[in-house]
Amino acid sequence: MIQKEAEKIFETRELNVNMGPQHPATHGVLRLVLDIDGETIVKVTPYVGYLHRGIEKLGESLSYFQALPLTDRMDYVSAMSNNIGYVVAVEKLFGIEAPERAKFIRTIVGEMSRISNHLLWLATHALDIGAMTVFLYCFREREWLLDLFEMICGARLTVTYPRVGGVRNDVPQEFLESLWKFTDEFPSRILEYETLIDQNRIWLQRTVDIGVISAEEAINMGMTGPTLRGSGVPYDIRKHMPYDAYDKVDFDVPIGTKGDTYDRYRCRMLELRQSNNIIRQLIEKLPPGPVMVDDPKFTLPPKDKMMPITHPTKEIAYFILEKACKGCGMCMRACPAKAITGEKKAAHKINQALCVNCANCLVTCKFKSVTVVSGGKGLSDEKLAELAVAPDQLPEDIKQAQQLLVKQFEFIKKGPKAPEGDLYVATEVPKGELGFYFVSDGSGKPFRMRLRAPSFIHAGCLPRLCVGHLVADVIAAIGTIDIVLGECDR
Amino acid sequence: MEHSVTVREITKQIIKRFTFIEILQGMALTLRKMFSRAVTIQYPKERRHIAPGFRGQHALAKNQAGRAKCVGCGLCAAICPSQCIHITRAKGQVDKYEVDILRCIYCGFCVEACPYGAVVLTENYEYSDYKKENIYMKKDKLLSNWDKYMPGKKGEEYFDKFWRPLSEDFGTPPGQSVFKGKKE
Repeated sequence: MIQKEAEKIFETRELNVNMGPQHPATHGVLRLVLDIDGETIVKVTPYVGYLHRGIEKLGESLSYFQALPLTDRMDYVSAMSNNIGYVVAVEKLFGIEAPERAKFIRTIVGEMSRISNHLLWLATHALDIGAMTVFLYCFREREWLLDLFEMICGARLTVTYPRVGGVRNDVPQEFLESLWKFTDEFPSRILEYETLIDQNRIWLQRTVDIGVISAEEAINMGMTGPTLRGSGVPYDIRKHMPYDAYDKVDFDVPIGTKGDTYDRYRCRMLELRQSNNIIRQLIEKLPPGPVMVDDPKFTLPPKDKMMPITHPTKEIAYFILEKACKGCGMCMRACPAKAITGEKKAAHKINQALCVNCANCLVTCKFKSVTVVSGGKGLSDEKLAELAVAPDQLPEDIKQAQQLLVKQFEFIKKGPKAPEGDLYVATEVPKGELGFYFVSDGSGKPFRMRLRAPSFIHAGCLPRLCVGHLVADVIAAIGTIDIVLGECDR
Repeated sequence: MEHSVTVREITKQIIKRFTFIEILQGMALTLRKMFSRAVTIQYPKERRHIAPGFRGQHALAKNQAGRAKCVGCGLCAAICPSQCIHITRAKGQVDKYEVDILRCIYCGFCVEACPYGAVVLTENYEYSDYKKENIYMKKDKLLSNWDKYMPGKKGEEYFDKFWRPLSEDFGTPPGQSVFKGKKE
């Protein structure tokens, strides 16, 4: 009787605690619902989707060229790697190959992005666990890398630097020199971080034997990247399915043994050294050559070749040749300034006072009736009729400029067409395996774009890593799988 | 022999445990850093160097006559992934050219799409305001940005370097950057 009374009074039950979505240690807007028995975790349920922006769906309404900036905003701490993953996949879909130099540059910036990602991971992971100084030191080096990104493309985080078929622009000499200096100094900086935490007794207590996962289990859960390699599985896409210039460099894939948080930390630290090594090899070998693939179907045409028409000093006027015009009205509909008038099946006319010289009529006309009059701006219609010649008889440079301008308009308004079919291409981003799956229906936009985001899969592994540990170890577990919710929720 | 090794290791661990050697090493490192130069800057007073070609607020380029180079073909509006550019034309020139800065993602595709070299991204990144209307960029503001941030030769250099692709990207230009050996 007394015992029953006592049980009633001192009844224990599991406590249900919300961790996140606004929690500094959950690396974004991850919400974990913890069932805890005292201080011990019984059950963890991750809730994702707070940062869902519908990148996959947006990709379906944008052309292959336009969708590139979306990938910046997935994993925003290593935007460059995500860009590279996207362009490698689209290049494979189009069946083109980037030139050698572009591949080298992409691999260099990809590895820079890996270093800057691991630095941010180390900084926040250490900060979560309680080592503040490492945070400051890591950001010091990350700043250098971000400055280098700014030097080549004008942006520090959302870079949008690689392009389908190459890279946006060539790298300057100062970039290579500054990066070489960075690779000279960086190993000593890694030693600094290690002096601070590698043998630190608090760090060891917080990481050793926390979140242990065996190799078999890690594979079954779909882990990839350093999170998997910490368990001793040497799976690295850069090694097994090399893309870009990874087959031309020599590097090791560091692996752990036990699969605990400390092993994953060691793995990433060794990866920093390997990445540094890869960059050095690539800078030494960087070949001269083009940075964009010479396939006019899939790239924007060169701008200087369009200059004979587009340069402001040329004073271009557009004129419709009466003989050639069939009066279809296409140009009239295309003209954004509403400068073209005319009856159906009769020759149309451009009102020179309203014309803005935008070339939309030139691009839409299928009967080659719109021509360019160099230096014809401000002249009367009679004078223009005298000066105008058929498009075939124009000077060679203007003819070429005209063709390229048409290509530019078509590329931007419709986008390069991909062949029908579907494919899956995976690349090794700092977090793990980033896969792009495209279903193409032969148009300029993907019918379906699906992303395999490593962060999403790793977030699903959290319950397995946390159960049985203490509440404070949840923070270590979130840190060790290195998730970014922008990529997880997409 | 084996026995002595383990004994040595155990003593090593005991020494480590009681002398706090790894913590002292870390402390020594942080103490050393106290006497090195600061890497931070005091932001509003000091500014960091901004690399040329920075993708900040937009500007509309002017030609030699001081008028907008833009002809209003609408390619920038067509390529914009976030659809933040709105253009209308009247009387043979661009009437309205508006950039909704709050929508813009600064990908720089408008610069790339423009065949006329009429739109640039400047190095201005400090344009926060209390009112939405002040950040909604209209044509006259965009043109005054050109005078403000791209004076003199700067605008031309921008187009040389960052208005891509040029035909040299498809070939091997002279003076391409390559590794020139270790600097001693």
